[in-house]
Amino acid sequence: MVVLLAVGFCGCAGVKQDKDAATLLKEGWESYQLGEFKLAIRLFEQAREITPENDPLYPDILYGLATTWNLRRPNQDPALAEGYYNRLLELAPESELAAWTMLGLARMKHLVPVGEDPDYEQVRQGYYNVIETYPDHLAADEAFLYLQASYVQDLEKTSAQKVVDQVTKFIEQNPDSKFISPCYSILSTCYEVLDEPEKRLDAELKAHETAEVDPTNPFQDNSWRYWMLATLAEFESGDFDTARLYYQKLLDEYPQDIRVYSVTLALERMDRIEEQIRQELKQGS
Amino acid sequence: MLNFIKRYLAIMVVIAVYIWSMVAIFVTRASEAPGDAIVLRIGHWQLEASVREALDEMAAEYSAIREANGLKPVIIIQDAIPEMTYAQWATTQLMGNTAPDIMEVGAMLPYHLWVQYYNRYFIPITRYVDAPNPYNAGTDYENTPVRMTYKDGMRNSYIEELQEYMSVPLSQFGTRIFYNKDLLYKLTGHEIAPTNYRGFLAACQEIARHKDESGQPYIAIAGSRYHLPMWEGPMFDPITYGVVRVADFNRDGFVGNDELYVAFKTDRIDFHYPPIKARFKMLREITDHFQTGYTGLTRDEAVFLFAQQRAVFMTTGTWDARSLQAQAEGTFEVGVMDFPLPAPDDEYYGDIIEGPNYERLTGGFPFAITRTSKHPEVALDFLLFLASRENNEKLNRIIGWIPAIIGAQVDPLLKAFEPHLRGVYGNLNLFLGGETWIKWLQQYTLYQVNQITYDEMVEEFEPYFEKHGLKDLMEQQKDWRRGMQNNEQYLAGLRAKALYSDAEDQESNWIKYRVLSASRQIWPEINRTRQLKMLYEGPTIDAVGPYEYSDEVIDKVRERIKRELESNEQSDTSLHSPS
Repeated sequence: MVVLLAVGFCGCAGVKQDKDAATLLKEGWESYQLGEFKLAIRLFEQAREITPENDPLYPDILYGLATTWNLRRPNQDPALAEGYYNRLLELAPESELAAWTMLGLARMKHLVPVGEDPDYEQVRQGYYNVIETYPDHLAADEAFLYLQASYVQDLEKTSAQKVVDQVTKFIEQNPDSKFISPCYSILSTCYEVLDEPEKRLDAELKAHETAEVDPTNPFQDNSWRYWMLATLAEFESGDFDTARLYYQKLLDEYPQDIRVYSVTLALERMDRIEEQIRQELKQGS
Repeated sequence: MLNFIKRYLAIMVVIAVYIWSMVAIFVTRASEAPGDAIVLRIGHWQLEASVREALDEMAAEYSAIREANGLKPVIIIQDAIPEMTYAQWATTQLMGNTAPDIMEVGAMLPYHLWVQYYNRYFIPITRYVDAPNPYNAGTDYENTPVRMTYKDGMRNSYIEELQEYMSVPLSQFGTRIFYNKDLLYKLTGHEIAPTNYRGFLAACQEIARHKDESGQPYIAIAGSRYHLPMWEGPMFDPITYGVVRVADFNRDGFVGNDELYVAFKTDRIDFHYPPIKARFKMLREITDHFQTGYTGLTRDEAVFLFAQQRAVFMTTGTWDARSLQAQAEGTFEVGVMDFPLPAPDDEYYGDIIEGPNYERLTGGFPFAITRTSKHPEVALDFLLFLASRENNEKLNRIIGWIPAIIGAQVDPLLKAFEPHLRGVYGNLNLFLGGETWIKWLQQYTLYQVNQITYDEMVEEFEPYFEKHGLKDLMEQQKDWRRGMQNNEQYLAGLRAKALYSDAEDQESNWIKYRVLSASRQIWPEINRTRQLKMLYEGPTIDAVGPYEYSDEVIDKVRERIKRELESNEQSDTSLHSPS
């Protein structure tokens, strides 16, 4: 038994010495993705031990360590995570990971433990930092979304109007942003709060037109969006043409959808109400 | 020496047993497979003889094809584990790295555990189901991705938490009413069971009037606590579809438990709302024909009653079709019928029931490949072989189930199982958690066995639901922030995947990351406020119900039609005026 253990131990030791930092980093992230956080940290630490601070890979290793200590549950260590994040920003403020690191710091302030409320002033400052420091980075666009959502989340008219101004400006200045569709969705929420149904429908239509779709995900279909656009058009804007268009799209593209019966009812309902009004007008004239 | 033996006897016994078990396993495995064959072990919980026969037959055919192509033969060894112990067996096998190459997955354990198991112990198959199935070569599906050849698009195989397809489903399932054709004819004169609701009830009443040779009355419907949900889901629950019209405040097409609670609380609805009352009336009318004390009986007791020809009807699924046929062989003929539906002019239900129940197409009998498999490529190839149109039809024909692949022919007995893709669905979700749910179960159980009337049940439950519902709902959802944290953890992994993936997969991974970040992390706080506002302030919809038009909308439609009529009149005038 002792011999077996010894052989096993030597084997493990041998493996450790054979691996370079890039391999350890890769395996660290694989372990993270499998939820093996303890192992992920061990692998990232091993990579750190054999990598000098001026090595281009060093920020990647720090980022792995920071993310794992930040997001592992249980046994997370926010202070340690923050330390790693900050060290990365000191060492490599221009690296690709610096923007994600700054976003990670802001998210730490936002995602507080269950039962607590975030300090939104601090949270927003964190997002502003990302946007101002790395304005052309994807992380900045993501930070912008979280920032605006943090304002509109009280569903009050004053906040909604401010967000409309900010998001409209962002869309004008960043028409190619990869997060343009959720920007329109946020606009739609604002117009809902502001009770402006036509603008809301218009924002939702644009959110649909600009939406990115992962074609391999069967849950990410458009049926719910068609349904939402159609009902918005029918009941909020009274735009029956648009409503018919999207109800019909749902019928044509998703004939097995659970709402197909409700769609046929909706189409009949609109025909009926139009006919009723037509008769009333004819009788009136 | 004696001292040595005395001292180390225990450890020597352990070593001896260990060596003996190793030898036994080696000898058994060696006898099961010739030296050059690839052995694939497949674990499942299907004890039906037809399933094992079908897998063996398909495996033999698969192996023959391989050999014909100059590849090594394949031997399939099945581990058929009873449902009762499958969860423990699967867990120990997976954790001990001794799991079979292919395992049936997705049931017997809670979903969240399966997600963890998929992540750790199974191989994602997304890239393979996005490619055509080589065993469909020469058919219309030659160039169609595997997932698109499925009736349900492999929807259930996609694990959203992992953003990966993890399993290959091989069959489809559904529930219908089975009946004893001979006994029905003998007792009622009907050659075919009535599919009209009133006719069905009349047949049940007629059956109950007759007694068998021993003087025991016949039972119209064999029921049990296992069978009741199979009546509730397809027959009783869809009656509550109409609740959508008064309680679907966010107009997503469904009534959430929070929306239903608000509808009750704001007096928009109560238990005397016709679709709700009708659901419970139908339950009473049907269960009155079950045997007495059915809620205390198990599945086997009901099946026994049916097999012994003491009951005429019994609801069950495709999974039981072949075994019921086998039990009845030479004794009576088994028929399968759809759930009876009231006629549109039915005095009570006519205005309430809007159609048959909607049935979602979902693949079942799903298999995944374990990471410990020595031959994952062969395991995948075998599953693709079973998932081709021709072979899936053959596999299911042998088992007596419904194929999962589009175009594969269904056994004539199972034609009645074709799902209704256009229909209605239940909208009475009373589950708010905690005390109200316990109260509901207590009252509903008493109503099921006819110990209290509907009015008594309502009188006892409704005020309690309205008083305690909000507290239960808040308690149930207090951990909503934890969901955001879990998402963040997952998204950080996905971001890393995108950052470090090959050029080929990078864009796809970034799309996944962006789509999920936007859909999962932006809306929880907004939706939470929206829900709280609705719960505390009531719905913000101006019109009477969510699917009714406000005056402003009607005015807009009227204006548009007026313009259209005026424009038509003008064009008519210009057409008829002298030029």
